Amino acid sequence: MQFPKKFDVIVVGGGHAGTEAALASARSGCETLLLTHSLETLGQMSCNPSIGGIGKGHLVKEIDAMGGVMALAADAAGIQFRILNSRKGPAVRATRAQADRVLYRQYIRHALENQPRLTLFQQPVDDLIVHAGQVRGVVTQMGLRFEAPSVVLTAGTFLSGLMHVGLEQNPGGRAGDPPAVALAHKLRELSLPAGRLKTGTPPRLDGRTIDYEKMGVQPGDEPVPVFSFIGNADQHPKQVPCWITHTTEKTHDIIRAGLDRSPLFTGVIEGVGPRYCPSIEDKIHRFSDKASHQIFLEPEGLSTHEIYPNGISTSLPFDVQWALVRSIPGLEQAHILRPGYAIEYDYYDPRALKASLETKAIGGLFFAGQINGTTGYEEAAAQGLLAGINAARHSHGLEAWWPKRDEAYLGVLVDDLVTRGVTEPYRMFTSRAEYRLQLREDNADLRLTEQGRKLGLVSDERWHAFENKREKVEMEIQRLRSTWLRAGQVSVPEALRVFGQPLERDHSLLELLRRPHTRYADLMSLSGTPPDESLAPDAADQVEVQVKYEGYIARQQEEVARHRDQEHLLIPDNMDYARVRGLSREVEQLLTRHRPQTVGQASRIAGVTPAAVALLLVHLRRSTAPILQEPRSA
Amino acid sequence: MANADVIAAIATAPGQAGVGVIRVSGPSLQDFASRIAGGGGAPRPRHARHSRFVDGQGEVIDEGLLIYFQGPASFTGEDVVELQGHGSDAALRLLLARCLELGARLAQPGEFTLRAFFNHKIDLAQAEAVADLIAAESTAAVRSALRSLTGQFSRQVHALVERLVELRLRIEGCIDFADEAVDFLEQTDIRATLTGLRDAVDRLTGSAAQGLLLRSGCRTVLIGAPNVGKSSLLNAITEEDHALVTDIPGTTRDLIRASVFIEGVPYHMVDTAGIRETADVIEQAGIERTWQAVEQADLALVVADIRNGLTEGDRQLLSRLPQDMPREVVYNKADLASADQRARAGTVVSAVSGEGIPELKRHLLQMAGWNPGTEPVFLARERHRAALSQARFHLETALEVADSFELLAEELRLAQNALSDITGEFSSDDLLGEIFSRFCIGK
Repeated sequence: MQFPKKFDVIVVGGGHAGTEAALASARSGCETLLLTHSLETLGQMSCNPSIGGIGKGHLVKEIDAMGGVMALAADAAGIQFRILNSRKGPAVRATRAQADRVLYRQYIRHALENQPRLTLFQQPVDDLIVHAGQVRGVVTQMGLRFEAPSVVLTAGTFLSGLMHVGLEQNPGGRAGDPPAVALAHKLRELSLPAGRLKTGTPPRLDGRTIDYEKMGVQPGDEPVPVFSFIGNADQHPKQVPCWITHTTEKTHDIIRAGLDRSPLFTGVIEGVGPRYCPSIEDKIHRFSDKASHQIFLEPEGLSTHEIYPNGISTSLPFDVQWALVRSIPGLEQAHILRPGYAIEYDYYDPRALKASLETKAIGGLFFAGQINGTTGYEEAAAQGLLAGINAARHSHGLEAWWPKRDEAYLGVLVDDLVTRGVTEPYRMFTSRAEYRLQLREDNADLRLTEQGRKLGLVSDERWHAFENKREKVEMEIQRLRSTWLRAGQVSVPEALRVFGQPLERDHSLLELLRRPHTRYADLMSLSGTPPDESLAPDAADQVEVQVKYEGYIARQQEEVARHRDQEHLLIPDNMDYARVRGLSREVEQLLTRHRPQTVGQASRIAGVTPAAVALLLVHLRRSTAPILQEPRSA
Repeated sequence: MANADVIAAIATAPGQAGVGVIRVSGPSLQDFASRIAGGGGAPRPRHARHSRFVDGQGEVIDEGLLIYFQGPASFTGEDVVELQGHGSDAALRLLLARCLELGARLAQPGEFTLRAFFNHKIDLAQAEAVADLIAAESTAAVRSALRSLTGQFSRQVHALVERLVELRLRIEGCIDFADEAVDFLEQTDIRATLTGLRDAVDRLTGSAAQGLLLRSGCRTVLIGAPNVGKSSLLNAITEEDHALVTDIPGTTRDLIRASVFIEGVPYHMVDTAGIRETADVIEQAGIERTWQAVEQADLALVVADIRNGLTEGDRQLLSRLPQDMPREVVYNKADLASADQRARAGTVVSAVSGEGIPELKRHLLQMAGWNPGTEPVFLARERHRAALSQARFHLETALEVADSFELLAEELRLAQNALSDITGEFSSDDLLGEIFSRFCIGK
């Protein structure tokens, strides 16, 4: 049957990528359909019950700044909040929340159901309709045909998903869910470059069988942090702590004795797993001199006793899992509610994508999330947002949009994916961002909300809040610049308290705040310095960071400007790299395979040397030169 | 190579010589070698073979040695054929024409080196060293170029970068994996490490500066009043008659340039018109040029007549020199001086007798900062020196901001970026790879 209603955008998948994609598409004015194999699992957190962290929190704030849902859901479902790296500087400071799975899912479902122009429908997708290199729609398991000029595929780990516990394997997309086999076969027929990746999850425990007396406690931060720029701490449910324990020598012995039945160590698993999130058996094997590994016990929610033991992801047989858990202090009597497992799944080489996340081979077909070789809810959601934006723009015949590396972590993420590809599940780290100092959590709104508004993603409520904050910050900086503190105005004890030294001459407040050890709050505690109306904490923080980092930001922007010409120099789509004089065959093949869109992208492809980039630049400039030099006809 | 073509060039300098060499490089040259030798089968790699070189009709063009290097065991990493014929231009040109007939094309300058670079036979610093070796004039420069060629300079920079990466991976580990129970610093003394790195950069910079001196030399200007013997002194230092010498003041009207190697360091000497008030238009123009020459010089020798001592004119002249320019007053005509006059003077020479000239040369080396000392000298380029100086700046700043991890990390990233000009790129992914291989990451 042909479904009677036509859509502008179809999103396949209801995970973190799919929901952000569908919401972004609908918000920007497109009739959007979200297809999922199960409405029950919309917004499901399949792995650990937490949102954010270093680099990831940055992504969440960026999604939020552009009107996305993840930060709002985390605020509504967060049962423990922490700021990581709080003492290492504002750029690397990051928010992390433990989330109640049920509350999180409920919030997402509610947002989806109440989004105008968004239609939900439950059916697995089995096939794509492709004509003349363009996607036209999808076909579901029961033969329903849906038509749309743009399709966003967010299949997660479901494409030919294969789950391992010991040497036993079962097809599945996630424990309890069937894999997408038909769709996986259809995609393989499109001959896009594909590979296999692996990820894993730990056994889940029954909290009633855990002895917390033997563990360290890890409470959340006070005051409780907030994720969304338009959220507040009142939205948080009850806050609870996490717990810390560790493996023992006995644990390690149990694991070593079980390695002969490990699918990882017997070569059953072929997919590549993430190096930064290894299974416990991998950690013990590779770092055999380490006597103990830390384990965080994270509550799965307020309405359940289920506990997620972060740090013992494993695919060892169940009897080994049982024994290893019970060798851990506090878990001697622990009951396992669900076994841990590893899962292998298909991913598609993201170098076959444009920076808009549209496949180069099939017009209108967009990929987002784990299908592109990434891992993490935040990385998936960020791609979903971008794919949703561009699927909508594609349907409206508009040019694609994506942020650059100096504008957002989202820009770093997408550029890394499409130019460098992945060799393991890709996760965000702040060290991936060369312009880290300007890509902070605190200024994600200043970097992206205006752009989000232009793209039609930002609600009036958010926009007004943002404009208000931006104006307050600018006015306050202006005031600091023009307000002077006279040397005689401050007593020596007061000067010592705020500046660590007596004030020897007159200074503007701006100059004083620029000093490394002078804090805004302290400065405002001197008489005659505070504004008439004191600033909201987030605006005050923003003022302080902007003033203190002015010099560094200016330098990074010079670096950006220096690279801009090369960065944005376009390479023709039909570029013949064999004609670039002096390129090694290896580099020629790399470039021919990846077809970068700009010289900047080319320069970041692994194996492309600076010398090769220079040759490419020479070629591009030379091949345009004759046109410029041609004499004009009279 | 992408353009799998054959390149050929005359490898020896033009002019009459006993032997002339043509070098050919390409993907497969066995057939090429056998055809240019007029048959005789495939050549044995790395064996010198006495051979005739024949043209298309089988006529003998020349005869000499043919050496075949099979890729990748060759300079360029491709097949290479070297034809050693007689060193006349005409014979070599005929032989080259035959190579082109056989499908080779004329190599562009540096193209052999470029191919070697692309086939990973040499790194960028080495590629530059090859060019330097070809251009090197003095034996010290040749030795130094060879040292760079063998990668010693790159090796030292690489060693430096390794230490930098070691610190970076600890700092970045602390930042990106703050929630892991891993001690990334492991008692690293950040300040001591930074100081050590900075000092290592300084030592390398010292060596590179010496290399730069060998490469670019030192521009030395001779100035002074007329008829104090500047031209004679130039002739004495260079041991050649470059300048016309007479007793008539104002003989030198235009600049006279001559180069001399002192312990291998090239000195580019400029003799100038003597400076005095004059109505002679030509002489005035010459004096103007003198000042232009001073502006471009690295150091100045102010020549005075020992019998007059330092005159008021000399003092004025000294005060007109750029402030930071190294200078030395040289009292000439020692052969005509009284004991008393000698006693009052500093650096005493006689351009006529040669007295004091060796001492003056040694002094010139000192003034230019030539100090080969214990560190090896690398034939550095200005680019290398600039990269090292940038790296040093960021290491110094890193010391100032070491309390703030993210600022420290930024300075270290920039320091490494600066050095990547010499060593090649190092991506954030490479850095993460180092972290994962060293520390147990992952909850």
